[in-house]
Amino acid sequence: MTPRLHLQLDERSGVPVYRQMMDQIKYYVAGGTLRPGDQIPSIRELAAALTVNPTTVVKAYTELEREGVIEKRHGKGAFISAASVQLTQVEQETAIRRSAKQLAVEATQLQVPSPKVIHVVSEELDALDPAREGAETPVKFAASTARAAQ
Amino acid sequence: MAPVVHLCSVSKSFRGGPSVLDGLELNVNRGEVFGLIGRNGSGKTTALRILMGLLRADHGTARVLGRDMWEADRRHRQRVAYVSQSQQLPDWLPIHELARSSSLLYDSWDQPFLTEILRRWNLRADQPISRLSGGNQRLAAIALALATRPEVLVLDEPAAGLDPIARRDLNQCLIEVLGEGTGCTIVLSTHLLADLERLATRVGIIEEGRLVAEGAVEEWQRTMRRIQIVFSQEHPPRDFSIPGAIRSRTLGPVVSALARIEDESQLDAIRAMDGARIYVFPLTLEELFVDWFQGSTTLGNLGPDPDRHHG
Repeated sequence: MTPRLHLQLDERSGVPVYRQMMDQIKYYVAGGTLRPGDQIPSIRELAAALTVNPTTVVKAYTELEREGVIEKRHGKGAFISAASVQLTQVEQETAIRRSAKQLAVEATQLQVPSPKVIHVVSEELDALDPAREGAETPVKFAASTARAAQ
Repeated sequence: MAPVVHLCSVSKSFRGGPSVLDGLELNVNRGEVFGLIGRNGSGKTTALRILMGLLRADHGTARVLGRDMWEADRRHRQRVAYVSQSQQLPDWLPIHELARSSSLLYDSWDQPFLTEILRRWNLRADQPISRLSGGNQRLAAIALALATRPEVLVLDEPAAGLDPIARRDLNQCLIEVLGEGTGCTIVLSTHLLADLERLATRVGIIEEGRLVAEGAVEEWQRTMRRIQIVFSQEHPPRDFSIPGAIRSRTLGPVVSALARIEDESQLDAIRAMDGARIYVFPLTLEELFVDWFQGSTTLGNLGPDPDRHHG
């Protein structure tokens, strides 16, 4: 069975639409929502569902195939490939690094010291899933320091 | 492969008045969806009318599928469909009457497709066009154009006057046509830039009758940024400029710019400056449009041929 895919496109993200689609499908794979062998929507289905030009979906799928995340089976559609799981660690790091870089830039601009940045990140991780493996005890910031970061 | 739509050095003025088009260059390839954007009166409609052979250019060439539409025969003309900005259907006729006469003129007429579109758009085929609302009259014209199964579809402000649901239905239908893989090429002018973000493969900005910028939508999404730099001193340093800036303005210690950022490292030198804080924001197509036209100083342009621009 194909899980229902909710892809959220954000026109303000500065990320091309095909790239947003790729990233989100990869997150679904990385998180285990999509598993090897799962079928993903056809180009026409996804284009209609998201109201995007089909060539955008074609581009996303072609890139995902090139990266080994999906495979096209002739006449049957596109599926999550068996190799996709082995890729996820590298993929995860690449994806996370992109966001981390942005965070680092902003933290530097706001002159937030590194240890504080790391604490904030671990707090946020903890808030999402307190049982996370390797999660540290969250350190609460005084309201004044948080305010000073503004 | 030759472009499907080709405008080369097209100029036009009406009755000796000022130029409406002034050396317009435009090329659209097969299967592309090209969005023509610009302020009111910038020449979009005139450009499309010249393209369709409804007006003759004073200078330059205009070709669709390799032929000048002004001179093209019926066989060639029926490969191209055009929906103008103003209602031009004989409005005393109902849609089914128009469909019947159109079907005689077009070899590629697709009646089942028309029936399906009318059903989906809730359009009554048996009522005179004049009894339909303005928005539905527009949809009727678009439905009839789609039923000709054109290789090239030219739409002048297709979504003007449509409610959000009708707009979505129209976009869905265009996406479906594109998804059929027949290589239909669409050229449209619009002010609804959020629609272009999803539909268009390329966008061109027309200003005073010239194409001053054009690019792939995904390239613009990836590279166009609004940048703000706040200096701690009263003014930015002398000769300060932002690499990649297209427009820029300075208000006291704040420099704002619309810039093309191919690579974040482009801004490293500014980040390293003492007393400068830099903020980088991605923008929607609509914000880009506003920044483009909002009274800031032009620094450069993204036009296809920078040598052409003067003054």
